[in-house]
Amino acid sequence: MMKYNKVDERIISELTDITGPYGVLVDEMKIEQYSHDETSQEEYGHMPEVVVLPETTSQIAQIMKLASRHHIPVTPRGAGSGLSGGAIPLYGGIVLSVEKMNRIIEIDKENLTVTSEAGIITNDLNEHLKQEGLFFAGYPMSLETCFLGGNIAENAGGGRAVKYGVTGRYVLALEVVTPQGEILQLGGKVTKDVSGYDLKQLYIGSEGTLGIITRATIKLLGLPEATSDLLVSFDTAQEAIDAVSAIMRAGITPTSIEFMDQRSIIMSCDYLNESLPYQDVGAMLLIEIDGSDEAIVERELIRVGQLCEQNKATEVYIAEDFSTQQRIWAVRRNIAEAVKVYSPVQSLEDIVVPIGSIAKVLPELDRLSETYHVKIVCYGHAGDGNLHATIIKEPDDSMEYWHEVEPKVLRELYSFIVHCLGGKISGEHGIGLKRKEYLKEVMDKSEYTASIALKRAFDPDMILNPGKIFYDEGQ
Amino acid sequence: MVIVVPIKQVPETSNVQMDSVTGVMIRSGSKAILNPLDLYAIESALRYKEACDARVIAVTMGPQSAMKVLKEAIAMGCDDAVHISDRAFAGADTWSTSYTLAKAIAGMGKVDLIITGERATDGDTGQVGPEIASWLNLPLVTYVSQLIEMRSDSMMVKRMTEEGYQKLEVTLPALITVLKEVATVRLSTLKGKMRAMDMIIPTRTVKDLDVEPSYLGLKGSPTKVVKIEQARVKRDALIIEAMEADKVPDAVISLFDFLEDKQLLEKGESR
Repeated sequence: MMKYNKVDERIISELTDITGPYGVLVDEMKIEQYSHDETSQEEYGHMPEVVVLPETTSQIAQIMKLASRHHIPVTPRGAGSGLSGGAIPLYGGIVLSVEKMNRIIEIDKENLTVTSEAGIITNDLNEHLKQEGLFFAGYPMSLETCFLGGNIAENAGGGRAVKYGVTGRYVLALEVVTPQGEILQLGGKVTKDVSGYDLKQLYIGSEGTLGIITRATIKLLGLPEATSDLLVSFDTAQEAIDAVSAIMRAGITPTSIEFMDQRSIIMSCDYLNESLPYQDVGAMLLIEIDGSDEAIVERELIRVGQLCEQNKATEVYIAEDFSTQQRIWAVRRNIAEAVKVYSPVQSLEDIVVPIGSIAKVLPELDRLSETYHVKIVCYGHAGDGNLHATIIKEPDDSMEYWHEVEPKVLRELYSFIVHCLGGKISGEHGIGLKRKEYLKEVMDKSEYTASIALKRAFDPDMILNPGKIFYDEGQ
Repeated sequence: MVIVVPIKQVPETSNVQMDSVTGVMIRSGSKAILNPLDLYAIESALRYKEACDARVIAVTMGPQSAMKVLKEAIAMGCDDAVHISDRAFAGADTWSTSYTLAKAIAGMGKVDLIITGERATDGDTGQVGPEIASWLNLPLVTYVSQLIEMRSDSMMVKRMTEEGYQKLEVTLPALITVLKEVATVRLSTLKGKMRAMDMIIPTRTVKDLDVEPSYLGLKGSPTKVVKIEQARVKRDALIIEAMEADKVPDAVISLFDFLEDKQLLEKGESR
């Protein structure tokens, strides 16, 4: 357990000197919302002692110097839409929210880049870029509230990674404040760069444990001219997953290949009052194809649709207009919410396996479900091998039973994913608080030791987002 | 029986932009789609077909590019489609459009039922459906929210009014305009799309229709657009600051003044 100093009146007054009175929140009602993210609040929430809302990078640097001097933990925070507890102030202290730093600094049309502060809502950024016919392809499209800084800190993935990859692919430059309060300018508007270590890459996906991302320069792409979707039903989940492999081998790269098992479809359709013909469907794939030419997109759409038909699809629906596309994507996007309504006590998982092994995941989920009498809902980014298997407590089961069984299911699942399939326990949500105990168990010892050594080299006082990723960083 | 569904190609409204100088919709760059409200008309026709074994014909008037929405209608399950296209029709208002469509429908032989969407999302007039009924002298039921009974010679429908609902029995032939509430729209299938791609859709021009030339297109349209203005929403926000305790009484008084000024509170009430 790490020992930190408390935030006292003197610290509050020094923080107020840095940000002004509007930038410091201490009122319990106001800081409560900074005590949790989108993971279960009861289980993981923790109150901060103070919340600061800086407006500039130099204010953040001053705050870090202050925290460093007084040995107070600082938890950086974006929109709080994370799913692994990364923004939760486990040891109290200061929550540093970048929400006021939401300006677009520059859209460089010659180099096709945008430079923005970390607190911009990524959806707003993309809406703005749309007017220029451009977009940030690494945007996870998960929540319309998430911030650019959080996307980078978590190296967010999302539904379009099959074709466009994850957030990190598009980050050209970063401005970062170190735990000691130094400001680093890393990378630049260049495609190639081996001038020294690629430090920028180290901060991408570091979950706010190495530095605070304050500004980023992002590579942009031209908006695709045409987008079409297929919604494909299968009799069994296994047949749907098998079709994914067939599509991936065919030489067409869809933008998304999303998988939904029967339970997730029924829960989401019930939740949305959607009347898709889903009742007898074993599983569905939602496949999106985009491109610069309508005719090419149409041809690929038909080709993929026919491949599905050849691979035991029972029906192939198409959505070529925006409103129908919104309608079918709503089914996929609302699964997590619908499952929460069914049972708020759950563990939303984020396992990822090599794409060739994805077919082997489902039988193991079935086995675990049977062995431990838990319901497992499975959906996610099948084209990336990234599945959001969600283990849920049946409403009738007791909390005691759940607490006993949840870690057992997770341990067996993680061990299978890592040791048998060569996968990882999180693809895009991160380790945060939620999985740190398990990461230690499944990660190779020497990699684990090297990672802690790196953390200590960057943050020897362990004041930046302590208690995340590592189970025993302080020992 | 035969059911005709007139449909329209409209710009995708999620990104419609207006030219601030001319007030005209900027169509370049915005994708053309099937009017979303027409989907409910097609869906209603297909349900009728399932109930009474009808043949469903989609019809649209527009340039060559409008062929796309007819293909979509076929992909959803319509049996046939007719494309009405001629330079002479260009620029038609609702009166001239409904005249041309009515003439085309009249030329199709025995038609039992015409179903249209409530309105198109671009012009927003909701006039063309009722006008077709008028040209063809057909009974008209607008704002249909439910098809209660579907028979080959009559139907029972629920119609939404400003006060509530009406339940109406209508003899066919007739024309109805349907609301979103009428049904959930089915998705097109790949099989339907393949069928649509293979289908050759006939185009009818002026010489195929028995029309009065002076009723057609921009010249034949009595509606003249003088000016289009985009309504602007203006928000006047009053921010009363009271960060320190001693400023609160004044702030409360300002708030009362404001609410009284806007007639949201009566003068002197609860002060």
